[in-house]
Amino acid sequence: MKRNLALAVSLGLAAQAAWSAAQALKTPVAQKPALLTSVGQSADVEMVKLLLERAGVPHKVGAQAKASELAASGARTLIVVVGGSTKGLGAAGISAEAELERSRALLAEARRLGMAVIGLHVGGEARRGELSDKFIRAVIPDSDYVIVVASGDKDGLFGKLCGGRIPLEKVERISGAVDPLRKAFQ
Amino acid sequence: MRVNVSELRRHCRTVSAALLSALLAAAPAAAQMPSNPYGRGAAGANGVVAAAKPEASQVGIEILKMGGNAVDAAVAVGFALGVLEPNASGIGGGGFMILRLAGMKSAVVIDFRPTAPAAAAADMYRLDEKGRPIGSASTEGGLASAVPGEVKGLLYALENYGSKKLTRAQIIQPAVDWAERGIPVTANLAQIIKDNFGKLRKYENGLAIYARDGFPYEAGDTIVNRDLAATLRRIQKEGADAIYKGEIAGRIVDEVRKRGGIMTLQDLADYRIKVREPIAGSYRGYTLLTPPPPAGGTHVVQLLHIMENFDVAGLGDATAPCAHLWSEAMKLVFADRAKYSADPDFVRVPFRGMSSKAYAKELAGLIAPDKVMPAAAAGDPAKYESGSTTHFSVMDRAGNMVAVTKTINHFFGSGVVVPGTGIIMGDDMDDFELKPGSVNSIEPGKRPLSSMSPTLVLDPQGRAFMALGSPGATRIIPTVAQVISNVIDHGMPIQQAIHAPRLFQRQSGSLLMEGRYPVGAYNGVRALGHEVSLGQDYDPSFGGVHAVLYDHAAKILHGGADPRRDGRAAAY
Repeated sequence: MKRNLALAVSLGLAAQAAWSAAQALKTPVAQKPALLTSVGQSADVEMVKLLLERAGVPHKVGAQAKASELAASGARTLIVVVGGSTKGLGAAGISAEAELERSRALLAEARRLGMAVIGLHVGGEARRGELSDKFIRAVIPDSDYVIVVASGDKDGLFGKLCGGRIPLEKVERISGAVDPLRKAFQ
Repeated sequence: MRVNVSELRRHCRTVSAALLSALLAAAPAAAQMPSNPYGRGAAGANGVVAAAKPEASQVGIEILKMGGNAVDAAVAVGFALGVLEPNASGIGGGGFMILRLAGMKSAVVIDFRPTAPAAAAADMYRLDEKGRPIGSASTEGGLASAVPGEVKGLLYALENYGSKKLTRAQIIQPAVDWAERGIPVTANLAQIIKDNFGKLRKYENGLAIYARDGFPYEAGDTIVNRDLAATLRRIQKEGADAIYKGEIAGRIVDEVRKRGGIMTLQDLADYRIKVREPIAGSYRGYTLLTPPPPAGGTHVVQLLHIMENFDVAGLGDATAPCAHLWSEAMKLVFADRAKYSADPDFVRVPFRGMSSKAYAKELAGLIAPDKVMPAAAAGDPAKYESGSTTHFSVMDRAGNMVAVTKTINHFFGSGVVVPGTGIIMGDDMDDFELKPGSVNSIEPGKRPLSSMSPTLVLDPQGRAFMALGSPGATRIIPTVAQVISNVIDHGMPIQQAIHAPRLFQRQSGSLLMEGRYPVGAYNGVRALGHEVSLGQDYDPSFGGVHAVLYDHAAKILHGGADPRRDGRAAAY
């Protein structure tokens, strides 16, 4: 009985490790410099600024950057911080629908310009819910690499959206996203 | 005047599938913090404390067990909350306390609201052509800070109304202990730190306390604040002079001025608390006692006086007819507040008139059962203070009762943290009207208008019945009134009265309802013509009511706390 249990646990851990390996980033996907934007206008973009500084990624910040500004920005990678904030949207004077429209246009333009897209969700469980999930569903499937603070993915939404096709890195704390970001850049 | 209930009900009965679809489309959209409504209340025969952190409530209980009275406990809780809930209140801010000791005929109001520095002026902030502030100087940085009143206010209460059985050092010691031991980072606090990370980073010193390796503390972590412990120890030894004179005062002024402020050592030395007479009103035989302007209590009384003209109990809890009445009454109250309320030491505020029953009856006559007022007269008080305040209430078995609401205004105040002291400076200057010409415009030494409304309720026999209040900016006024109505009109136990879904209406604009408001009521008010916005199910923007209630028949004290934030009551 004990041996069967141990075997089951080992197989489970092995499967999880294999899944994680399949999801992990194998080679760098991004080039410097980057443009950092928010989709959802949450304050989380402030933390990602610090992550990029620590990772040594030169960047400009345009929380409400428009598709038309992307080419002139000189950026070769678009970093999108996803997470909705009614307060942030209100302060920016943007509706959720307009924000989604901006996001779609921005991602499409990034593709057209051949830019890499990195999606980040660092707000944890509190930055989920109907509003945030709209933005997550809009951004994550169009990303080349996704980094998530694990408490924000208790329901496995990010795994489903990445579908084994997009490398996904889960970190326990926000500060844990520095290394994955560093490795994402050539 | 009595409204015909059946007439109101007839107008509110229309329910359609189309409206239900609209309801679903407008469902709560913001990030929802996990809210646990269970285990918030407490009951005991000897004393009860309801505060925004369970550890703070327990501090109050321990002081009562040591032989302190409700004022001793309230002062200890006040200092402890500055450590345990540093984002909401503390030494760099101020507030209002109302207390009534057993045997007192009325109550005493201690106004320790921050004041504008002597060099402040009505035109000190840059405005655009529409009169809106340019930049964030009124909410962030040194220019946002008014002269703080917290330490003088709390110690005045202790020295004049405390039991004298406990020393100042004993009262402050629990706060010192928590600062040294470290406070638990809840999901709520973690989110608040993340939301204000940019501000903390911009003004630098806060990061040394509220960040780990440069990043925000996360849920489950512990924050130790040795600088604040050292400051509290100085207050234990030196009293209020530790903050308002000498070395710490110098550090406060240096940092505030370094960050663009105008505060001087003389401003700190000149700070005075104000002892005021409470506004008195009544609601269905229960006496209401609450602070006058610049606090918001006048309008709690005014709102309840208007509602007293209607059969609120008969209309039912959370029904469309009732919601309609609340909404219309709130429009009228906020119109008056915008036009008349300010610091009564600087302008004539007709607060006696606003809280009179005759005037309330006149206003109630303006409310039609079947029509929605587009907007009440006067300008819109859309701003004023933020929702980042705290409230706590204490009652002991002698019937001594205390209600305190205090704040550093926005979460983490101005973002300016005084190095080596742990003091976060508030941004209360933002509560003034930022353009000249208003009763609430800036003047040197003036106190900005506030919605803070700590309130005491006496039963029809004149005995201590309830103490309550809330954070929540302008929502404080309707929130406090609705909880009182839930208890008196609908017979709810205090915890249920706090849980009940709330609504909010400014003098114009849409009616905001919490997500749990019944669908029938939602549809009913829309059918009447109200434009409705839905908030979260337990929406923290609707405040955090912490209330205590004395059941004289059972000789039991009950405490209720709000699941919308981190509140929990304690009793023994």
